[in-house]
Amino acid sequence: MSLETSVAGAPIALEGGRKTRKNMTRSRIHIAMLGLLVVFGIIGARLVQLGMVETSLSDEGQARSAITASRPVIYDRNGMEMAMDIRVPSLFAEPRRIIDLDEAVEKLLPELPGVTSAWLREKLDGDEGFVWLKREMTPAAQERIFNLGIPGIDFVTESKRFYPGGNDAAHILGAVNVDNQGIAGIERYLDGEEIRLLQEIGLARDRELQPVYLSIDMRVQHALRAELVDALERYRAIAAAGVIVDVRTGEVIALSSLPDFDPNVPASALEEGRLNRVTAGTFELGSTFKTVTLAGALDSGLVRITDEFDARAGIRFGRFTINDYRGKGRILTLPEVYKYSSNIGTIRIMQAMGKDNYRAFLTRIGFDDALPIELPETKRSTIAETFSEVGAATASFGHGLSVTPLHMASAVAAFVNDGYQVPATMFVRTEDEARQLGRQVISPETSRYVRYLMRLNALEGSGRLMNQIAGGYMVGGKTGTADKVVDGRYDTTKNLNAFASAFPLNNPRYAMVILVDEPKAENEQSGRTAGWNAGAVTGRVVQKIAPMLGIMPEFGDMSDAALVPVELLSAENQADS
Amino acid sequence: MIKGINLVLLVTSVVALVGVYAIKYQSEAIANDMHALQRAVNQQRGNLSLLKADWAYLTQPATIAPLVARYSEALGLETLKAEQFGTISELPMRPQIANDAALTALFAALDAGVDPIGDKLAELLEQ
Repeated sequence: MSLETSVAGAPIALEGGRKTRKNMTRSRIHIAMLGLLVVFGIIGARLVQLGMVETSLSDEGQARSAITASRPVIYDRNGMEMAMDIRVPSLFAEPRRIIDLDEAVEKLLPELPGVTSAWLREKLDGDEGFVWLKREMTPAAQERIFNLGIPGIDFVTESKRFYPGGNDAAHILGAVNVDNQGIAGIERYLDGEEIRLLQEIGLARDRELQPVYLSIDMRVQHALRAELVDALERYRAIAAAGVIVDVRTGEVIALSSLPDFDPNVPASALEEGRLNRVTAGTFELGSTFKTVTLAGALDSGLVRITDEFDARAGIRFGRFTINDYRGKGRILTLPEVYKYSSNIGTIRIMQAMGKDNYRAFLTRIGFDDALPIELPETKRSTIAETFSEVGAATASFGHGLSVTPLHMASAVAAFVNDGYQVPATMFVRTEDEARQLGRQVISPETSRYVRYLMRLNALEGSGRLMNQIAGGYMVGGKTGTADKVVDGRYDTTKNLNAFASAFPLNNPRYAMVILVDEPKAENEQSGRTAGWNAGAVTGRVVQKIAPMLGIMPEFGDMSDAALVPVELLSAENQADS
Repeated sequence: MIKGINLVLLVTSVVALVGVYAIKYQSEAIANDMHALQRAVNQQRGNLSLLKADWAYLTQPATIAPLVARYSEALGLETLKAEQFGTISELPMRPQIANDAALTALFAALDAGVDPIGDKLAELLEQ
């Protein structure tokens, strides 16, 4: 400005130069403004861009808290927790971020019981990025350590699988390994189903999964296991197993196999002899097979309930002669064959039916393959493809072929459920769903005969002790005492006893198979056969569980009389008159 | 004129500066609050899962059964017997009413609005 005033009276030539300079200044200002505009524009655009970015909500701590994958809660049919995740804090340190080692050791030591000062100092010293100090602490301890405010010390929340029932449902639930992956039972089945996929793509981390409802009733499960534990002690048996199935829906209500393990301590699952005998153990179930044979024979129409069979002498097959245990040595009616558990009579019944028909019947009731169930532990049954004469004879009373107890439970359930067989399941299922899944394996007519026979055996046959203990719950069933095979020979001192039953037989709801391995006599007066142990256990179980399952007892002979088939009634009447 | 604009711009930029810093600190405070809350929520969830586990454990039949066994004597607990169940239909029919006339009179009185038993009770209460 001062220059301008001092050269006010300058000649025109200067004027032009001034103008030029003025123009140049103006254009420089413009360029500068443009430059600033561009810079501010960029800043503005960047601001808008930053404003649009959605910041992820997870911070470092949260990302860490999902180290272990979570699993769904498992409930029983009544909504009682059987397995759940608990979130426990674990303490870790980042030694490279620790400023004052002495202070950290001094402050932490009282909060970590069972840790020496030297150990802690060694852990915290150094340049590592991550060391575990203590896994699975209590939230109270976490709070206290957090309030100490030591830099370089932090927590991770880990999921840990917890089974509140302990051993109660061990073989059903199975167990998980340290990475929270199922290694046995339902836990493993669930992994195969969907969770493993979810865990792999990172969706199953730290979020609520759809809960799973099993068909198990924990009250019944506990009662069953308690009785089996009692049986192990009472009969000094080496193992015991039991399964209860809802005959209408195929739901497994309880399943227990002893010895078992604590799912909270998964390592104990791997010990010898802890297999799930109900689904993964096959056994020669002995005379319980007579129920199967008679059901098949009656259903074929080739044998009638009023028929009589000669059981006076043993049956010879080459070098072998098959005899009865405490045989009656006379001609027996069909119900008597069942009641006295006559091997000879059963063979004759099977022969009247035909061995090939009998073999086909075993296929029809699903005895051939491993029983399909939602547990990974299953085993194929051992049954010859075709029966020889002698093979069919022994098979008719349950020797020379082995199936799992669940096979037997499923068959008995079908026999009493009007012949309608529903596949067994571990998950809740409605009766409508069951109707669509099932199939007719024997006629409702035959089913009535079988119900009568099973009840008859409880009233007059080998199930008497069971019936006495069970009281008025209309239980019926068949015993099976099989000699165990030791070194390829049947050892008469070692038995495998079974009891296959159903209740209440006037309106069947549940089928049960109880297995007691190598029982000894309870006392001087009692015997070693299945009625004394497997049968007695069945009675005690029914007495405990029937009230839980809402089954009313029946007293008096009315209901029993109603089970007797018409054909036998008229025969009795004729005999009377 | 230009001076005026400059002044306005200066004031604006100072205000903007103060504002931006205020927002920055505020957002930091909010983020801190958020982290504290998240920590609290996490902790509460952990506590909740433990309490749920506790409850599930305490209500398991496996936990209750030994307690029942231990205190069955003190509490007079016994296993339910089948004989103890009954239904309404099992009850015997009502026995023949002995004094039919008196009962008819009572019902008649009630219908008429007189409640002899109620009156008796009222008298007793007054005493």
